[in-house]
Amino acid sequence: MKCDTIAALATPPGRGGIGVLRISGPEVAKIATGVLGTLPPPRQAVVRAFRDADGHVLDTGLALYFQGPASFTGEDVLELHGHGGPVVLDLVLGRVLELGARAARPGEFTERAFLNGKLDLTQAEAVADLIDADSPQSARAAMRSLQGAFSQAVQALSERLTELRVYVEAALDFPEEEIDFLADSAVAARLDELDRALCAVQDQAREGVRLREGLQVVLCGPPNAGKSTLLNRLSGEALAITSPVPGTTRDVLRADLQLAGCAVRLLDTAGLRRSRDPVEREGVRRAEAAIADADVVVWLLDATCGEEAAVAPRVTPGAHLIRVWNKTDLAAPPREALRPEDLCLSAHTGAGVEALVEALRSRAVGNTPQTGVFLARRRHLDALERARRALVRARGALELGPELAAEELRLAQHALGEITGAVTTEDLLGRIFSSFCIGK
Amino acid sequence: MNGSCFWVEGPRGIMEFPEHFDVIVVGGGHAGTEAALAAARRGARTLLLTHNLETLGQMSCNPAIGGIGKGQLVREIDAMGGAMALAADEAGIHFRVLNRRKGPAVRATRAQTDRQLYRRAIRSALEAQPGLSLFQQAVDDLVLKADRVVGVVTQTGIVFRAAAVVLTVGTFLGGRIHIGDARHRAGRAGDPPALALARRLRELPLRVGRLKTGTPPRIDGRSIDYAKLQSQPGDEPVPVFSVWGSAELHPPQVCCHITRTTARTHEIITAALDRSPLFSGAIEGVGPRYCPSIEDKVVRFAERDGHQIFVEPEGLDTHEVYPNGISTSLPFDVQYALVRSIPGFERAHITRPGYAIEYDYFDPRDLRPTLETRPLRGLLFAGQINGTTGYEEAAAQGLLAGVNAAALALDLEPWVPARAECYIGVLIDDLVTRGTDEPYRMFTSRAEHRLQLREDNADLRLAPLARRLGLLDDARWRRFERFREAIEQETARLRALRVDPRRVLPDAAEGAEPVCAYDLLRRPGVGYAELVRAGVGDAQTAPRVAEQLEIAARYAGYIERQQAEIRRLAGYEEIPIPEDFDYAQVSGLSNEVREKLQAIRPVSVGQARRIPGVTPAAVTLLAIHLRRRQAGSARPDVA
Repeated sequence: MKCDTIAALATPPGRGGIGVLRISGPEVAKIATGVLGTLPPPRQAVVRAFRDADGHVLDTGLALYFQGPASFTGEDVLELHGHGGPVVLDLVLGRVLELGARAARPGEFTERAFLNGKLDLTQAEAVADLIDADSPQSARAAMRSLQGAFSQAVQALSERLTELRVYVEAALDFPEEEIDFLADSAVAARLDELDRALCAVQDQAREGVRLREGLQVVLCGPPNAGKSTLLNRLSGEALAITSPVPGTTRDVLRADLQLAGCAVRLLDTAGLRRSRDPVEREGVRRAEAAIADADVVVWLLDATCGEEAAVAPRVTPGAHLIRVWNKTDLAAPPREALRPEDLCLSAHTGAGVEALVEALRSRAVGNTPQTGVFLARRRHLDALERARRALVRARGALELGPELAAEELRLAQHALGEITGAVTTEDLLGRIFSSFCIGK
Repeated sequence: MNGSCFWVEGPRGIMEFPEHFDVIVVGGGHAGTEAALAAARRGARTLLLTHNLETLGQMSCNPAIGGIGKGQLVREIDAMGGAMALAADEAGIHFRVLNRRKGPAVRATRAQTDRQLYRRAIRSALEAQPGLSLFQQAVDDLVLKADRVVGVVTQTGIVFRAAAVVLTVGTFLGGRIHIGDARHRAGRAGDPPALALARRLRELPLRVGRLKTGTPPRIDGRSIDYAKLQSQPGDEPVPVFSVWGSAELHPPQVCCHITRTTARTHEIITAALDRSPLFSGAIEGVGPRYCPSIEDKVVRFAERDGHQIFVEPEGLDTHEVYPNGISTSLPFDVQYALVRSIPGFERAHITRPGYAIEYDYFDPRDLRPTLETRPLRGLLFAGQINGTTGYEEAAAQGLLAGVNAAALALDLEPWVPARAECYIGVLIDDLVTRGTDEPYRMFTSRAEHRLQLREDNADLRLAPLARRLGLLDDARWRRFERFREAIEQETARLRALRVDPRRVLPDAAEGAEPVCAYDLLRRPGVGYAELVRAGVGDAQTAPRVAEQLEIAARYAGYIERQQAEIRRLAGYEEIPIPEDFDYAQVSGLSNEVREKLQAIRPVSVGQARRIPGVTPAAVTLLAIHLRRRQAGSARPDVA
């Protein structure tokens, strides 16, 4: 269980200050040399430049090398303490993975430490809880890094790969069935197509999901409750507006903010109400999708109207709902509708906005576990890259032997399966039997 | 099952057989014969009970051994000292290596066999085996002592006692044959079913289901116009199945033929579908998707204008042929018409009608990976009773059950084969971990370590284990050791040898550095023969040794990668899960995962990992929890 080398951020991303990247496994010395130029002496903190493949300096920081078994995990361990923000750390992590490491699963360092006899039983118990607590959150994070078109693209990729494997495996397992597709060049052509599609998805993944980490906050509520005003107000309250970009849809606006050092993505949605207008209904559908995906939903109500007209947002379990009464400078919220935990503010004057910022900040701090979106996305990029390499090798192996190409395709599918869920042999055989008339 | 014996309450007279056995095997098919042979090879006093000694080693379906995925199983059984491969060599009348051009990992031998010669070969292997007795009598009942099986009762009331009982009853449990809307109870055409035993077994706390399989009508070869058929000769030189065998064992070789169904055939079938028990609902058992009846093929693939039929000879002394590809349970008059619509079969005489047979099988998830049933100690199941199909799959389970029945009786080392070690391991792990809802057949795509699990290296993978388990005699072991040493020596010699590449590669650059002779084998187009031609290889090297060198070179990188993966996961295989483990103790497991684990009761964390729906996080939790339990008495050792 200690054959490959794993890497992950050891400090929560997005909090600023120092970020620690931890790498463990047999490839550590090679990776250290690749990033730092030379392997640092064991157990001494040295200042080094972290460099990319072309020798450009990505960041400068402390490097610490522990030789196994005298380390946290019992294996060779390298720690890189960088000063850059999440984007820089991500680049360094990318470099480390390029040199042969694999993005770690949640709790994997601790698991190795335990299995190598480095943790006592009480600590191990704590690890179990940690892994448990992490899973749903990291699963949600992974979903988010893969939402919408990107997720569909990976799914489609996996589907095409399965289709190709159906042909290759059928030809290997049923040579007498008049379905020997390996004989013609169709497999090579399909493989090339698949490779191109995978590259396209990779590009999309690298571009599209940059800076997507952080707390996802959705503003929703009935039309004219003042959501856009509140978005502008919150943007003004933020310490820094990192990228106020319009959304992919014209009805969901988003802004990436740093609230007290924590990354927050704010989404302003179309007003929630029942409507017959198809355009508006589409807007509502997208708003609902954003709500389903949110960490925090701010449900904005108009104090001058009450809540009759409002459609309650459907919040997913685990996400947090904050009810906020706006326009309290014009009217007090209706007493019968006001709940003790509700916040009251005026987006127009700014009165009470402070309390909302505080509420969001406390959520954001609690929301940056070791394995956030950042790592989930990194694992996805890593899996895509491994799938692509396997495809490239499969193309080469096609000349050498179909069984070798089949092996590479199996590995490619295994890698994609880490994103989309595994495709089992049974799935594959089922497809073969439904596609071809097998059996004599 | 409260401590008393089932049979005590029976009204009939009981006779205790005076001798006690270590192992009793019930059934004389492919599972039963390998089980009895393996148990006896391990030194267990073994009794094989069958309702008919004349049908020992009977091939109930098509007259062929091997094929893709199956040939690998046969070679593995052979490496473990089993009888199947040698019997196929002695009975094979047409041999082919399938996938010959597709690389060694997916290459597989198949022999068309003479049924009589095959039965005779199996019968003589059984009779030649010391410590093995045969007895003809159907078994009706089990003798139980608390939760332990201690013997069996035959139809006439004879009680045989043994420490372990292996049931290999094939399609005989509650067997029911369908031909059109005619149906009758049978174990196989011409044989009675095992009804009393089926009733008894249904009383056990085991999950039971129904499966279905079928055969085509048989035809008198003298009524076939072979001029209209395409002929398919066997390979030259004739392949040999067993590593212990040779081509001298082969009887005379014959030719096979191929024909096709026609549009007319499909019309006949389509018009008669309302009389098919398959479509009328009379058959409830699930049939194999990869071996559908002809009516199923015509319905599901209506766009096809024809389906291949392989015309396989039944033997040297008979004119009967087996038209493989038109398995059917349609009424006989429809069978008659459809056969005669096929080119070459216009005047064909059917000697036996085709039929479908339904039978009981037990959910293999109620078995331990040793094939012992969970609720009853000392009771093992092998073959179709576990939901598999195929002679080779049955024989493989028989071998394993025989090995483990002897282990139970004599307190010897049990055998739980690993997926990374052999197809037998893939078969057993699939069965006990995933179960099956259709007759299970082996395919190479089921083996994730396919590149390593080859026909050509079955003995290299398994012979040392077979020797340790007491399954290989001295003569075979010495022969194997010579083979293995020859590979090692020639590999070492070539690795140490530096040669001018131009001696082997005419295109190599002038003045190129000398290269390692072994590495030359990795170049495309360079085999051992090329090395011999260049004076680098040794002309005396045995072909099988040269083949191993070539394959090792071809697959080197791939095998290393798979080995690394196997090592990475091996730690999980070594964490056992106690039989009575309470999954509720493991905090953090989701209910869904917990239910799955409880239903399947994996024996190791490695097996738990392979259960569909068990997440990596759950596996980690389980591993940590079990390590901690283990550490209660000892320090956790390093994974």
